[in-house]
Amino acid sequence: MIEVQGLAKRFLAPGASRGLLGLRRAPRRVVEAVRDVAFAAPDGAITGLLGPNGAGKTTTLRMLAALIAPDAGRMAVDGIDVVARPREALARMGVLSDARGLYPRLTARENVVYYGALQGLARDAANARAEALADMLDMKPLLDRRTDGFSQGERMKTALARALVHDPANIVLDEPTNGLDVLATRALRDALRWLRTPAGGGKCIVFSTHIMQEVERLCDGVVVVAHGRTVAAGTVGQLLAQAGERDFEEAFVKLAFAQERAARRAPAVAG
Amino acid sequence: MRPLASVASNAWVVYRKEMADALRDRRTLAVVLVTSVLLGPLVLVALSAFVASLEERAEKREVVVAGIEHAPTLANWFARQTVVVKPAPTDYEARLRASRLGDPVVVVPADFEDALRRGDVPVVEVVSDSANKQAESGAARVERLLQGYNRERATLHLAVRGVSPELLQEVQVEPRDLASAQSRATQITGMLPFFVLMAVLYGALNAALDTTAGERERGSLEPLLTNPARRVDLVVGKWAAVASLGMLIAVLSCFSFIPAQWLLRSDTLSALFLYGWREALLFLAVLLPFAAALSAVLMAVAIRCRTFKEAQAGTSIVVLAISLLPLATVLNQGGEQPWQLWVPALSQQLLMTRVLRGEGFGVEQVVVPLVVCAALAVGGIVAVARALRAAAVR
Repeated sequence: MIEVQGLAKRFLAPGASRGLLGLRRAPRRVVEAVRDVAFAAPDGAITGLLGPNGAGKTTTLRMLAALIAPDAGRMAVDGIDVVARPREALARMGVLSDARGLYPRLTARENVVYYGALQGLARDAANARAEALADMLDMKPLLDRRTDGFSQGERMKTALARALVHDPANIVLDEPTNGLDVLATRALRDALRWLRTPAGGGKCIVFSTHIMQEVERLCDGVVVVAHGRTVAAGTVGQLLAQAGERDFEEAFVKLAFAQERAARRAPAVAG
Repeated sequence: MRPLASVASNAWVVYRKEMADALRDRRTLAVVLVTSVLLGPLVLVALSAFVASLEERAEKREVVVAGIEHAPTLANWFARQTVVVKPAPTDYEARLRASRLGDPVVVVPADFEDALRRGDVPVVEVVSDSANKQAESGAARVERLLQGYNRERATLHLAVRGVSPELLQEVQVEPRDLASAQSRATQITGMLPFFVLMAVLYGALNAALDTTAGERERGSLEPLLTNPARRVDLVVGKWAAVASLGMLIAVLSCFSFIPAQWLLRSDTLSALFLYGWREALLFLAVLLPFAAALSAVLMAVAIRCRTFKEAQAGTSIVVLAISLLPLATVLNQGGEQPWQLWVPALSQQLLMTRVLRGEGFGVEQVVVPLVVCAALAVGGIVAVARALRAAAVR
């Protein structure tokens, strides 16, 4: 169970370099990455964070993973406050972040077991988990190969296994299908669907994406994020009804666009 | 609060992973081992061959003369000194310049004997090239030989006239050298500490960059921080691995000089260069804290860089400082100054030079560098831990 309320974050972007040598700098710019994001992701369900590029999805998920401190708002993982008790919250979360670099000189198994050890698992337990996850993700032959030279799909599987090594009740994925081919995407979808079922552990799964089909095929609940705000939430059917559209893409554009017009009427603070 | 054992175990987990990772980087390790561990001994051996050839020449009783046929009296003097006269090649100037002739050439003018008889002072040239080290080192010996001839003739002239030759010597000058055999050897072995310092630096450099900027470049730092481990534990584990590699190279390079001595060709140098287990252990006492501090400093610089390449540029300042600071002992003629013990790299150089001179060092000289190293290590670790989260998401 992941609950997020009134989340906000602004950054100070360094000004662009000016002049021949780039020594003079333009004044710093305030970027409001997240203004007001709120959602609740229940257990045993897949919740999609849908939004265009730059909507604040990655920043939101990074705050949820305690990588960035929020300016305002509250985040709780199974009732544990992320800001106050980040390590306890992280122990209950498996995070597949936007960056999913592996250690090229280690095997896939070693990559997974390393994270298991950092999560506090004993070596044997971590190894057993690596085997079980390799079964689930169909990556058994990869397990004892060095990750140097893995394809995008193989990398994603290894990174996902690494994130799930401690069998977390909550799974957070940032654009997991980026750069994957059809087969790898389908394999990932199957894995996520299975993790949602009671047999798979009835996990609470949150993932961000900008791809409509992804959401339509996979999500029990959808949270539409635009310009750093949650603009709509519900099932695919509810969102279609809310927008009065039959095509989900049209509905999404309408919902996000309405927000954009509202933002134009009340311009953002610019420094 | 997490129990202390689990805090230590997280650092241990990171340490083991980073060591395995670094030790699998075979190519980098091989380059580091060859350049830093073998280079010092190789230079020592090459140096000893050079010194041996100088010694050979110093002992060689030969002199190269152009126009010895014009000076039978000089030839007679050389013969009485049991010095063999060799005729100079006609192109001796060109050969000296090209360092193909390793002896200075004595040039006797055609009217040498006539001038002597007339009481004129004939000019005898000793031709050498100051860029030709071998010939230059022989020039003093040849000049001394000619001065001997000069003195003999002058003494005979004075004796014929009934004057005591002692009148020419009102004051007797005798040199007395205070340097011990070992401290004389440091003129030659003085570059050793420099090699060892650079070995430690290159041993730690790659791992320091790989565990910080490399981790950022790969995109593996952000996922690493989504584990419920304290950042300082992660950093301590990484630092311990980097420092271990630096220390490993330090141990290897310090002990590599012991077998290198067996290869020394110059008897004088091997007699002067007293480097045994005791010296190696004293070197390590100086170098291990330095490796710990250096690793932390390199990591603190590199964590601010986005890529490995950027970090290499950034850390080149540290590399430059470590190669240049020991020069202070060369440029500063005032001898050891108390402040020098406070400067990292310079203080290590000083202490190691003391060991080579056979002077050793006391606790009071070790305390200051030790405190400096500890402060740098702690400061570096704290800086990396602070920068870690911001570095992961930028």
